[in-house]
Amino acid sequence: MATVTLKNAKKQFGAVEIIKGIDLSVADGEFCVFVGPSGCGKSTLLRMIAGLEDFTSGSLQIGGKEMAKVESADRGVAMVFQSYALYPHMTVKQNIGFGLKMTGHSLADIEGRTKRAADMLQLEPLLDRKPSQLSGGQRQRVAIGRAIVRNPEVFLFDEPLSNLDAALRVQMRIQIGKLHHDLKATMIYVTHDQVEAMTMADKIVVLHAGRIEQVGSPLELYHRPNNMFVAGFIGSPKMNFVNVEAGTGSSLKLPGGGTVKIDGMKAKLSGKLTLGIRPEHVELAKKTADANVSTVVRAAEYLGSETMFYVTLPDGTEAAVKADGLAKTQVGDTLLLHFPPKACHVFDPDGKTLHNGDLSK
Amino acid sequence: MAQTGVQPKPRGFWKTHQKTLAPWLFLAPGIAMFLLYVIFPIFESIWISFYQWDGLGPKTWVGLQNYRDLFADDSFYTSLKNNLIWLVLYLLAIPMGLTVALFLNQTVTGIRLYKSLFFFPFVISQVVVGLIFTWFYAPDFGLLPKLLQALTGSGKDFAVLADERYATLGVIAAGLWPQTAYCMILYLTGLNNINPEQVEAARMDNAKGLSMLWHIILPQLRPATFIAFVVTVIGALRSFDLISVMTLGGPYGSTRVLSYFMFEQALSEYGTAMGYGAAIAVVLFAIMLVFITIFIVRMLSQERNS
Repeated sequence: MATVTLKNAKKQFGAVEIIKGIDLSVADGEFCVFVGPSGCGKSTLLRMIAGLEDFTSGSLQIGGKEMAKVESADRGVAMVFQSYALYPHMTVKQNIGFGLKMTGHSLADIEGRTKRAADMLQLEPLLDRKPSQLSGGQRQRVAIGRAIVRNPEVFLFDEPLSNLDAALRVQMRIQIGKLHHDLKATMIYVTHDQVEAMTMADKIVVLHAGRIEQVGSPLELYHRPNNMFVAGFIGSPKMNFVNVEAGTGSSLKLPGGGTVKIDGMKAKLSGKLTLGIRPEHVELAKKTADANVSTVVRAAEYLGSETMFYVTLPDGTEAAVKADGLAKTQVGDTLLLHFPPKACHVFDPDGKTLHNGDLSK
Repeated sequence: MAQTGVQPKPRGFWKTHQKTLAPWLFLAPGIAMFLLYVIFPIFESIWISFYQWDGLGPKTWVGLQNYRDLFADDSFYTSLKNNLIWLVLYLLAIPMGLTVALFLNQTVTGIRLYKSLFFFPFVISQVVVGLIFTWFYAPDFGLLPKLLQALTGSGKDFAVLADERYATLGVIAAGLWPQTAYCMILYLTGLNNINPEQVEAARMDNAKGLSMLWHIILPQLRPATFIAFVVTVIGALRSFDLISVMTLGGPYGSTRVLSYFMFEQALSEYGTAMGYGAAIAVVLFAIMLVFITIFIVRMLSQERNS
């Protein structure tokens, strides 16, 4: 079990800088998720920790030891690949035991450890099969078994669930969570799916264009995003952004002439700003007097438990509203919206957060 | 829209049977050619091998006499022995091709040029390969004797192709050049198909160098190895052109193989023994059939397993 510390880690491919100086520390036993849009460098960063990509500069410490230039097999890490990367000519048993065989463990030792890993992942009935005879979920479990059996200090997962169907993904998510609980090992998990990140992580690292945008617990990132990128990336459906203008005091002028007065605003507001509010925090107003803005419904999804309205604000901005499942508004109708000040985030023109409307306080 | 009261016309014969007939129609030209130029001559050769015939005059039925003569002929055993030597040594092209392929399977600037240079000997005609090697071995101006001279001090009088002991080996060495290139291409294609993530996973599993090659790379190259084995075995058994260009079967018939022996007996300037030649061809065909059967059985069983 070990901590993982990156200091000013950089990676260049030719002249292109992919990782632009990452400082990060992952605590012992923590489940850390790297999340970001494709091309943000999250997989590259994971592969650098795994030892599959060299560091252009910077340092990596695993369990307090400098590892940036150590062979990947000697780093005490194990990785589960996106394609599972099972050896197609070996049986499940040989696949799981291969790493032990290569590091010179005795046959009895390999047998015992393979069995224990197979027990943990319900793989015993499959031990003599080849990967081509397994389903996607079973292959995934074998890939995890191959990682477990080596008793690594750090587990690395590279988008391990992206090739599974939705139902299986939920099941494997729970299984990996349980595994983390049982093994108490440090795990680093890469995904582009923010739902996976939110549900599994102790700590989320949001990456964008080779830099860390924000590090924090899932709820911290949800309630107190540092900037518009994190605000828009975390949470599903995405946060709504509305162009506003600073009014008198801490009030903001919305499109269509309405205003919102933000409580507890510390920063001084001026000029053009962006107001952010999550679809689930927008309320429907019954009377014009209660409404901040009047909108037109463009599309509606009646899901039973809830209704999603996609609306257009007076200035043409599109927004999503999550409403009660019994809402009856139709496409083309007018929808009056109320923005609770406690749920409003304010961003400056550079996208930096001026104010987080933190509902958890 | 169907009119009321009028029965729609049933589909014609062609419409009903199109799906079953069309494949046969497409196959027909190929099948006809194959029957005419491959299957029929095989049986005709077997038939001729029971006759004494000079190719023009009347045929005389001799039964198995041609075969009895053949099995008593020293030249036949020389040819058979040479075919075996070809078969064994030609297989060296497989590990050699693998080595070159592993060496060339990297991303360095200009690697495409190197690859095409290594593939070049396969593209040029066997006749040209034979000529190049004949000159390479030539005792008066060849590169090999000069090299030996420089290295050991003697060798000017070392004539590979004129020496019974070395002539066959010399011809096989020439044949290995293009054959290695062929195997290399097969392996390069195979290496291309290996999932890089598997190699990375193996790296994390502490497999390096030879253990990586043995446990991860080679097992996945098995299809390529199989094809390389098939083409090399068949290539070795039908070797003819290099011998014809480099030694004409000599010195004293010591570099003959079965196909060249057959040509000499039946088709060359002085060969008129059609029946005898056909008997040699039948024996060669029987030997090939053994290998081809093994290959086909293997291929079918693989297909069934996958």
